[in-house]
This record gives sequence, C-alpha cells and structure tokens, in this order.
Amino acid sequence: MLVIALLVLTGNIAVSVLAFQGLIGFSGQGADLSIFSDSYFWGVLSFSIKQAVLSSVLSVVLAWPVARGLYFLPVLRGQQSFLQLCLLAFVMPTLVLITGLVVLFGRSGWLLPVLPDDWNLYGLHGILLAHIYLNMPFAIRMLRQQYNNIPDPAWRLALQLKLTGWQRFLHIEWPVLRPVLIMLLGFVFILCFNSFAVVLALGGGPQATTLEVAIYQALKYDFNIPEALSFAWTQLGIAGLLFLVLYRNGSGGWLSVDLPQSQWRPSPGKWTKGVYMCLYLLVWLFMLLPLVSLVFQAARNDLMSFDYLALLQPLMMSVGLGVIAACMAVVIGYLLLLPIREARYRGMRRRQWLMEWLATHTLIAPAMVTSVGLYVLLLPEVDLDEYGLLLVALLNTLAVVPFVVQQLRPRLLQYDMQYDQLVRNLKFSPLLRLRIEIPYLRQVLINAFALGLLLAIGDVAIFAIFGHQDLITLPWLIYSYAGTYRMSEAAMASLVLLLVCAGLMKLFVVQKPLQKATDKI
Amino acid sequence: MAKFKSALMASAVSLSLGVTYSATAAQAEPLNVYTYDSFVSEWGPGPKLEAAFEAQCNCDVNFIAVDDGVSILNRLRVEGKKNKADVIVGLDDALIEETRATGLIADHKVKLPALRTELNWQDKQFVPFDMGYFAFIYDSSKIAEPAKSLRELIDSDASVIYQDPRTSTPGQGLMMWVESVYGDDSEAAWKQLSEHTVTVTKGWWEAYSMFLEGGADYVLSYTTSPAYHVVVEEKTNYKAAPFSEGHVAQVEVAAVLNTSKQPELAQQFVQFMVSPEAQQILPVTNWMLPVAQGTELPEIFSRLADVDRIGFSSEEVAEKRKSWIREWRSAAAK
Repeated sequence: MLVIALLVLTGNIAVSVLAFQGLIGFSGQGADLSIFSDSYFWGVLSFSIKQAVLSSVLSVVLAWPVARGLYFLPVLRGQQSFLQLCLLAFVMPTLVLITGLVVLFGRSGWLLPVLPDDWNLYGLHGILLAHIYLNMPFAIRMLRQQYNNIPDPAWRLALQLKLTGWQRFLHIEWPVLRPVLIMLLGFVFILCFNSFAVVLALGGGPQATTLEVAIYQALKYDFNIPEALSFAWTQLGIAGLLFLVLYRNGSGGWLSVDLPQSQWRPSPGKWTKGVYMCLYLLVWLFMLLPLVSLVFQAARNDLMSFDYLALLQPLMMSVGLGVIAACMAVVIGYLLLLPIREARYRGMRRRQWLMEWLATHTLIAPAMVTSVGLYVLLLPEVDLDEYGLLLVALLNTLAVVPFVVQQLRPRLLQYDMQYDQLVRNLKFSPLLRLRIEIPYLRQVLINAFALGLLLAIGDVAIFAIFGHQDLITLPWLIYSYAGTYRMSEAAMASLVLLLVCAGLMKLFVVQKPLQKATDKI
Repeated sequence: MAKFKSALMASAVSLSLGVTYSATAAQAEPLNVYTYDSFVSEWGPGPKLEAAFEAQCNCDVNFIAVDDGVSILNRLRVEGKKNKADVIVGLDDALIEETRATGLIADHKVKLPALRTELNWQDKQFVPFDMGYFAFIYDSSKIAEPAKSLRELIDSDASVIYQDPRTSTPGQGLMMWVESVYGDDSEAAWKQLSEHTVTVTKGWWEAYSMFLEGGADYVLSYTTSPAYHVVVEEKTNYKAAPFSEGHVAQVEVAAVLNTSKQPELAQQFVQFMVSPEAQQILPVTNWMLPVAQGTELPEIFSRLADVDRIGFSSEEVAEKRKSWIREWRSAAAK
C-alpha cells in the first residue's frame, strides 16, 4: 500500500515537474529575468497581492460578526439553510456567480440606479465583490465552528468571575479564534491569489491583472514562455511560502461537518441582538440577490421555445468529467495520506510537513502553468483534439486533490490516534485495515467526493486550454454566452448549473453529528 | 479577426463549430484548415465557403478553429512540423513576418485577380482575402458631434471600450494607430486614454456587445461595422468616425503549409478564397471589404466612411510589436 502511495505521490509531482519541463524545454531557456525591471511586472504583482489581501481581510472581517451572531443567537431563524447556502456559495461554479453579478451590477445592471455614478464593475470592485461572495460564507462556517468549540464551563466561569465583555473576548474567544483566523486569512488569500476566472471575466484590462491571468496572457497571446515562467515562479514562490507558513501554524478542518452544538452560552443584550439580526439579514440578502437575479433574468427567455437540449450535452459533459475527477481524486487523496500517517506514527514531524506540502502542492502550482506546460509538451506528441478531454479529467483531478486531502486528513488522524496502535499490533493486512477504516471514514469520503465533484464541475481554466470544441462543458457555455453579452441565455444556463450543484450538495453532504459515525466502529 | 461573428443572433453553441462532416468517398483525407472561431460560426463565412468549395473540388473541408489569428500562429509554433493543417486562413498582415519565420509556409503560386490598388500586394507566400480599416464606432442618436481625430478622442473624456492588443487584432490595430500618430509620445497618450477607458476586453465581440448594451460612447471596430447594422438590422444610427490622421488597415491572409500532404488541393482552396464567388460571400458574412476589384456589394458599402491609410509594414510590426506591447501594458496599467 505504502509503495503504491509513494508511486502516486511521485506521479502527482511528476505531472507538475513535466509541465515546467515542457515550458523550459520548449523555449530552451529559463525564466526571463529582464521582466523584473519592467514596471508592468511590479504592477501585476502589487495588484495580485492587493486584491488578495483586500479580499481575504474583508471576507474574514465581515464574516466574524456574522459567525458571532450565529453562535450567540442559536434561535435565529433559518440557520441550517443559511449554513447550507454558505457551503453552496463556496463550491459554486464561479461563472454562475459572475453571471449574477453582471446582471446586478453590470453596465445595464438592475442596481445601477442605486450605485454611484462612476461605478464600474470591471476592475477591482467586481473582483472584490466576487471574491467576498465566494469566500466570506466559508469563513462564517469556519468561525462559527470554532465558537462551538468553546466549552460551556468557560462561559459559566466567566460569569462567576464577573468578566467584562472585553475580558471575556480576550480570554475566551480570542484563544479559540486566533489560530483559525490566521489560517483562514492565509487560505482565502491563496485562493484569491490564484483566482483565474473571476479576474479574467471581471478584470478589465492591464489595470486589474493578476499573476495567474498574466501567465495565461503571456503564454496564450504573446507566446512568451520565458516571461510566463517568471510570472509562474513568482506566483509559486509567494503562494508556496505562505502555504508552508500556514501549514506550520494553522489547523482546523476546512469544510468539516457541523459538530454537535454546545449547550450553554451567555445571551447578548437587546442592542447587540438587534445588530446581529440586521447583519444576518444583510448577509442573507447579499447571498441570495445574485442567485435570485438569475431566476428573473432567465425568465426573460421565451421559456416555451428555449432550446433546453442545448444545455443537456454540456451538462452531461460537466457532470461526467466531474465524477471521473472526483473518484480519482478521492483514491489519490487517500493514498497520499498513507505516507503522511506513517511519518506521523514515527514522530517524524518534518517529514510529515514535507509530505503534506507535496500532497497539496497543486493548490499553489498555478493550474494555468501546469495546463499550458503539458499542452506545449504533449501537443507535438499526442493528438490533443482526440485526447484533450483525458487531460481535462487528469488535471482537474490533481486540482481537487488538495481539497480531498484536507477533508480526509483530520478524520484519518483521529482514527490513527484511536486505533492505529491496536491495528498495528494485530498485524492486519492492508486490505483488512482498509475494511476497518471505510465505515469510520464513510461520511468523510462521501463529503470529499462531493466537494471534488462540485469543484471539478466548475472548472474553466483547464478547459480553456485543453477543451474540445464539439464537447463543451456547461461553465464554458456560460462563458461563451456571457462573453457575447447574451445575459438571458447565460442566466438560464447558470441557473441549471446552480440547481445541479445545489442538488448534488443536498444529496451528498449530510449534516449529521459525527458521534454516530464513530460509534459504529 | 473580429468580425460580426454571426453577429447578434449567433448562439454561443454555434461557436462549437458549425462544421458539417460531409464525408465524401473520393478523398480519404479531408483538407484541414486552421482558422479562428468566428470564421466558422453558423453565421460566419465558413459554412458557406465550405459548401461552395466542396461543390467544385469533390473533397471534404475540415475547419479546425482556435481563438483568433494570434492563436493560429501560436499553434503552428508549438506543433512545428507535426501540425495538421494544409491551409491557414485568418492571420492578418501584422503577423505575416512572424508566421513566415516559422519556416512552415509554402509559396502560394496563386494567380491573383486584380486587387485593390491600395494593397500593392507583392507577397509570394501569403494571399489576401479580405480587408478592413479600424475605426471607432459611435451611436449617432446619442452623439451629434463625434471626435474628428484620434488626438481629439484621446484628449476628450468620452468613455471608450477597446480590445487587448495582446489578444485581439483590433487592439493590435489601435496600438499601431497610436504609435503612428503619437510616435515617441505614445506612452503619455495611453495613460490619457486609460483615464476614460471603461474596460479592455479580451476579444472584439465582448467589446462590441458591451457597447451595444450602452456600455460606452465609442468602441473600437471597423469602418465596415455599420454595414452590418444596415443590412441585417436595418438600423442606420451606428456610424464609424472618420479621423483626420488616417486609419490603420487590416488585411486578412491565407497560406499553404509546406508540410501539407495535399499541396495541390490546398493551393486550390487558397485560389478559391480570391475567386469572385468567395469574394461575394465574405463581405456579408465576415463584414470586411473584398480584396478583388469589381466585387458586387450591397449598396451601403458605397456609403461607408472613406478613409486614408496609415500604419506600418509587417516587417516593422514584427520588429517592434513586443516593445510596443510592453509600452502599452505599462502605461495602461497605471
């Protein structure tokens, strides 16, 4: 088992290495260092960092009071639906959101009358809006979960000691939040730093370009591989460093299921209650508006004569590719965790970090670079018109592996702490071990699969490079509609995609306390 | 490259190739043509040209579409001698020298008809098939006094949408335009323009549709664009603004590859592109001007803005394109 796992890890890394090899080998030269004296490079770099910092800080800062409100007011109506919506917002295909935002805030958007005169969706505004929408709900879930980890006695003790609100915050809340805040900020920063579709669709020119988009432009349009490499190495360096730092400091499951609620917490005052209520309603509104606007915009089509069949093939294509990628990613993710668990068992902290970093490195190796590198490498060798879709599946698999690993990791490590010693002593065969683990992991495996499926369904970047003209995916169809400003068709296609994703989420991600699952073993 | 792709009715689905695989038994190997996607869309020239050519050649034409002219060149660069193309259609004259440098282009041996005199065509490898002049389009029902020169437009505060010169040939055209009008002062001109630029889009189509949605006062397109609105939509309010400095032209070209296994047939196809039949089809599907003299056109074409040509030779473009792009992106990024 361990041997297979190491092989998979090697394969995973090999794809990335090959991609860079393809780029270096093709141009016969390394990165173009002269770019570092070009003001454009520094412009792109500073914009990438600026938008990612703003996106992550705003997402987390705005999420905090909402999460706090959810915790202190468990009576708030519709909490469960709200949390589900939060999850949906995080895994929703980006293009669905972009369509909604253009319908609302675009050049002929519904909200134009209430927006300032010089409002322009294209540029930093639009990018921030989209990034906050995609990441704030996720931050809300995470922070709320942390709050739920505060043990009841802490609050009772605080009450007895007559601690002020500020003291309570400092001694009870802050210690629980701090590690997660750092991790959240870093994680959202990386996601926004690597963001492609949002910046491509809402960027609006060289004033608002990120490294990831600059890589794409340098490769696809200037065919300037050395320059693309400089951008790619810069991107890899910054995101990779940050990732390492996070891994050593941060903790916390990413999208784990809700833990059972703690029972007792202090009740806030009337004013605070009111503020929480308002905030809660505002966020509901912010999250529902783009989705509701899709319904109204889609209804502008002639619903009787609309060519629904035109959406069917791309939908099947997306789901098919997604299922393949998700299945492979779950298997690969499980295998990649074996050497990590082994290293942990032997107490090799450093090796564990390294392995974890390698297992999740595709989160930071720009998907664009990997795709284009392989494209350059394979195009002369393989008929990509025939086999392009295989690569779409493969690269999407690698892109969602980090998420799967993060889903499985906490649960597996928990399992190891409880049973690993025993299982080792009993000298079970690997297969038998697996049979014992599966029931314990079942829910997490399903969640990981669903998450991988949803993320792969929404892919645009990889399809942009390897996609096939006759067999397009639904996000790509939306992209073509929106690119040609046919917002009604775009809205209809987005709505279908959204409903499918919501359905898949409902189907797979079951919110039930973990206790029951552990009892079965 | 950008044209009235199938224009406003074209469904994106049509982008997924309106190619019919009419497999005729005569030719085992289809004739592979690399072109850009709007060329083969349902309303573009591709399907009609294909039908007309297949009627006379007893063969099967297979279009392989990429994003735009620049992508055709990039694909050739990557594939090198292993490319699948017999013919490439839809590069523009600015890219000729860089394409020639790949060493993949064969001499065309085509007997050219009498071409428009302003073309003064001498090239032995590339054959022109249509042309156009870049121009800023405005809605005359909203703007009574359009800008009369490029300088006036850049000095004004009218909102403008244009295309990225790295991704789209019209954007590249604007770059040459600014360079020829401003010369060493181009950087300042770009900075000034970026003050009132709504957005820089990836392709022509995004920009034009955004303009039609009321997104800006001016959009960069072609002098022939108003013809589309007249012929297809019967709207006369969209007009091209003639500029006193002159306009940059774009000539679209086709060529035979020296790696082709069917050089005669490839030759025949390129010859067909300048035949009276194809020259009639192109203006009302690709919305560009024909290159052959004496081509019959809808009446509106005679009423389009008549402009002087300025610009650079493709040798100059090949030499300076990189540094121009660097200058543009640094200036426009601030």
